[in-house]
Amino acid sequence: MRLTFTLNGEVVSLDRIAEDLPLLDLLRDTLGLTGTKRGCETGTCGLCSVLVDDALTRACRTPVTKIAGHTVTTIEGMLGPNGELGDLQSAFLEYGAVQCGFCTPAMVLAGEALLRRTLTPSREEIRRAINGILCRCTGYQQIVDAIEATAQHRRDQQKATSGGEGQW
Amino acid sequence: MVSNLRYVGNPALQNVDGADKVSGRARYVCDMVVPGMLVAKVLRSPLPHARIARLDTAPALAVPGVKAVITHADFVDDGNFGWPVKDAYVLAVNKVRHVGEPVAAVAAETEAAAMAGLNAIIVEYEPLPVIGTVDQAMAPEAPLIPEVSPTGKGNLCNSHILRNGDPAPLLTEAPVRFEATYEMPHQEHAYMETEGALAIPEPDGSVTLYANNQSPHINRDIAAQVLGLPTNLVRVIQPPIGGAFGGKDEILYQTSAQAAKLATLAGRPVKLILSRSESMAASYKRQAMRSHIVLGAETDGTLRAAKIDLTVDNGAYASGTPLASWRATMHAAGGYRYAAVHVDMQSVYTNNGYSGAFRGFGNTQASAAVELAIDELAERLGQDPLEYRLRNCLREGDATMTGDLLNQAVGLADCLEWVRDRSEWTKKRADCTAQPEDGLTRRGIGVACYFHGSGLGGEGEDFATATLKIEEDSSITLTSGLTDFGQGSRTVFTLLAAETLGVDIDRIRVLRPDTQTALDSGPTVASRASIVGGNAVRVTSEKVALLLDLAAADHLRCDPQQLIRDGEGYVGPDETPVPFETVVDHAREMGLQLSAQGRWQIRPIEWDFETGTGEPYFCYVFGAQVAEVEVSRRTGRTRVLKIWAAHDAGKILFPKGALGQMYGGIAQGLGFALMENFRFKDGVPQTLSFTQYRLPRATDVPEIEGTYIQTAGAIGPYGAKNLAEPVMIGTAPAIANAFAQATGIRVRGFPLPRVKGWIRRQSKPCPPVLANL
Repeated sequence: MRLTFTLNGEVVSLDRIAEDLPLLDLLRDTLGLTGTKRGCETGTCGLCSVLVDDALTRACRTPVTKIAGHTVTTIEGMLGPNGELGDLQSAFLEYGAVQCGFCTPAMVLAGEALLRRTLTPSREEIRRAINGILCRCTGYQQIVDAIEATAQHRRDQQKATSGGEGQW
Repeated sequence: MVSNLRYVGNPALQNVDGADKVSGRARYVCDMVVPGMLVAKVLRSPLPHARIARLDTAPALAVPGVKAVITHADFVDDGNFGWPVKDAYVLAVNKVRHVGEPVAAVAAETEAAAMAGLNAIIVEYEPLPVIGTVDQAMAPEAPLIPEVSPTGKGNLCNSHILRNGDPAPLLTEAPVRFEATYEMPHQEHAYMETEGALAIPEPDGSVTLYANNQSPHINRDIAAQVLGLPTNLVRVIQPPIGGAFGGKDEILYQTSAQAAKLATLAGRPVKLILSRSESMAASYKRQAMRSHIVLGAETDGTLRAAKIDLTVDNGAYASGTPLASWRATMHAAGGYRYAAVHVDMQSVYTNNGYSGAFRGFGNTQASAAVELAIDELAERLGQDPLEYRLRNCLREGDATMTGDLLNQAVGLADCLEWVRDRSEWTKKRADCTAQPEDGLTRRGIGVACYFHGSGLGGEGEDFATATLKIEEDSSITLTSGLTDFGQGSRTVFTLLAAETLGVDIDRIRVLRPDTQTALDSGPTVASRASIVGGNAVRVTSEKVALLLDLAAADHLRCDPQQLIRDGEGYVGPDETPVPFETVVDHAREMGLQLSAQGRWQIRPIEWDFETGTGEPYFCYVFGAQVAEVEVSRRTGRTRVLKIWAAHDAGKILFPKGALGQMYGGIAQGLGFALMENFRFKDGVPQTLSFTQYRLPRATDVPEIEGTYIQTAGAIGPYGAKNLAEPVMIGTAPAIANAFAQATGIRVRGFPLPRVKGWIRRQSKPCPPVLANL
């Protein structure tokens, strides 16, 4: 099949793609985007999570037919235009949320999916939002810290922006 | 106290390789692609114990796309390796001893061709009697699992003893005597990244291996030996590693040697990555351990003596068990004062997979058992379990359970007091006791504490090396032979070099270990990277710092003693700072070589394995944890509400990383207590996926309030001690002891049972016991 979708802000069009090809294989093997990781064969580890539109989605369980015409964001798409780290990525470093790093891309995207829904999540909501992704190193606490701090940071930014408009 | 340290202990410091990882740019071995690369797959045993009656790999070579196939016969000495017991093979020889054992391997153009190649291999097994328990293994008529018994006593793999005084008369006379048996299950490391290697055959006949191994120099030495190559023709480069926890040693030696042999035969690069189910079947586990504990105490609760028998299930191969079981022996009675202790340990071959190193290295299981026993004893005596521990715990000047005199700061009581005060222990304990007996849920609060010997101790020579070089542009390159698999050692090494040289941390880049640039530093195990590897970095940096001082003094025409530092700059008597680069340039003009290598070694320790006496470790760390749980009567489910943790690790070098180690260790301990149980049924693993083997998720792990008690005087760099392993030890028993207060059920093994509709019973003197349901 011919597959057209938006990947990290750019329209991608590919020919001769098998319909049952999992999105994970497309990303890692066809497109060489190896930031998305494979951790199991049973759809339980969540390490392959990416955003399809705004929803956190396991790429290993998503046939490419399902993403035709949709927007996919991987960890590579979380960087700024000059390759700089986004606010949530910087917060992961600032709060010590990265150890071996193998779950980190999925955790960042899970945090992003949550923060696109709400900027006032409780720590319990953050834990639920990352519950589908296994981490064996961190005990999750500093990941929760990083997402919580980014929510606060984005709230402050929103306030500054709307405050700025008021002053005009 | 005002610290003049710029990086050591600085809470703002971040992981030096964090940006690579959080951006998705870090390239793990599974992410690597090189031109002409083949894919390898491994044929593994479906049976726990069988003779290989026929193995014909020729049909595999006839499969289109298959480029190479190997068996044990392709390796020198059948690919035999292993230390301290040389009983392992790169590929099975004559028989298979556990499910998942590798038998043959294939390299092909595609994964599908490799799978077709595996399917074409003709293999016939004659099943042998399966040994699924340690009792079966030690029965007189039991079939022998290893080729040769390393002890000459059938399936006994090894034994250890501890002899400190004579506990027998003390236990006979003791007014209070407690005796019970505890069973701890196997645990899976479950690093998120499975095992893998990429082998590249080079034109000169050498092999380059990228492997996610913990100990690249050991991997190189074994690969060279089984491939029949001189050591200098094998190069191991370590990419970022997705977690290890002790689990990426022997399994990586097998995997790397398989990939390397296939690559040299095919004359093309070969990548071999294990699937998750393959990893769970083929990799080694935490040993299952039975502890039979006898404790004797005075009527006021003062501990007098302990006699402990440990029986360890090490599965089909010895791996790290002979050493881990020694550590278990050295810690089996816990961090308490005794007049006499005997421990007898036997480690036994079975067909239950195989076991080796896993965070805590035997102490996790041994301490869990004794911490459940101490809690039961305190309850029998009618004493508060935390105060009971404070009464008996090790303090400075005491002798440990092995008789080792503690001439060091001992933070154990401080840790117990910290978790007591922070958790509001006394109030919560009373509140829990006052809960209605028939509530839908009941809460409980429990405590556990531990001690843990630092470094390898009597396990072997404890050294590390480092190299440091100032480049032409005054940037600095650092190497260590010890690896960073996520625990943060690269960051620790970087900050130690920056601190010692007095330079900005951004100037320093620490390379990942490559056996061609880094020097052998022994294995990356035993939480020793910060102490031993860190001291090697410190002494190496000091050598270069001395040269720079000479150059600065020469440039400033003063005595080196007159120099002071202003940031990176050097200041002499005329008080004008000279930039670091100027000093470097001047040093070169003087003909000084601005590179160094350094080695640091812990003083030799004398442990007599025959008599079970001596000094097992050069120093110790200590800690305590409190867990609060809620148990539902309807579902039987135990939820951990909060954990308080304190650990005495001396000076903390990298605070964010140290806390991350603590939180992560606690999550692994929580899994050990509540859900993780790697089960075998007649040698057949029952939990080969994450749906069958549950790991703690973010909603399973509670908020953790943790601290480090920074006692002074340790010999690590800037006074550091170790922490990565011991921080998990207190968690599981603290949870089980909290569960006991909530339900009145005293478990004698993990994981905790889910007993629906339990009724709390007020039984005295001994509460009801449920063994490992």
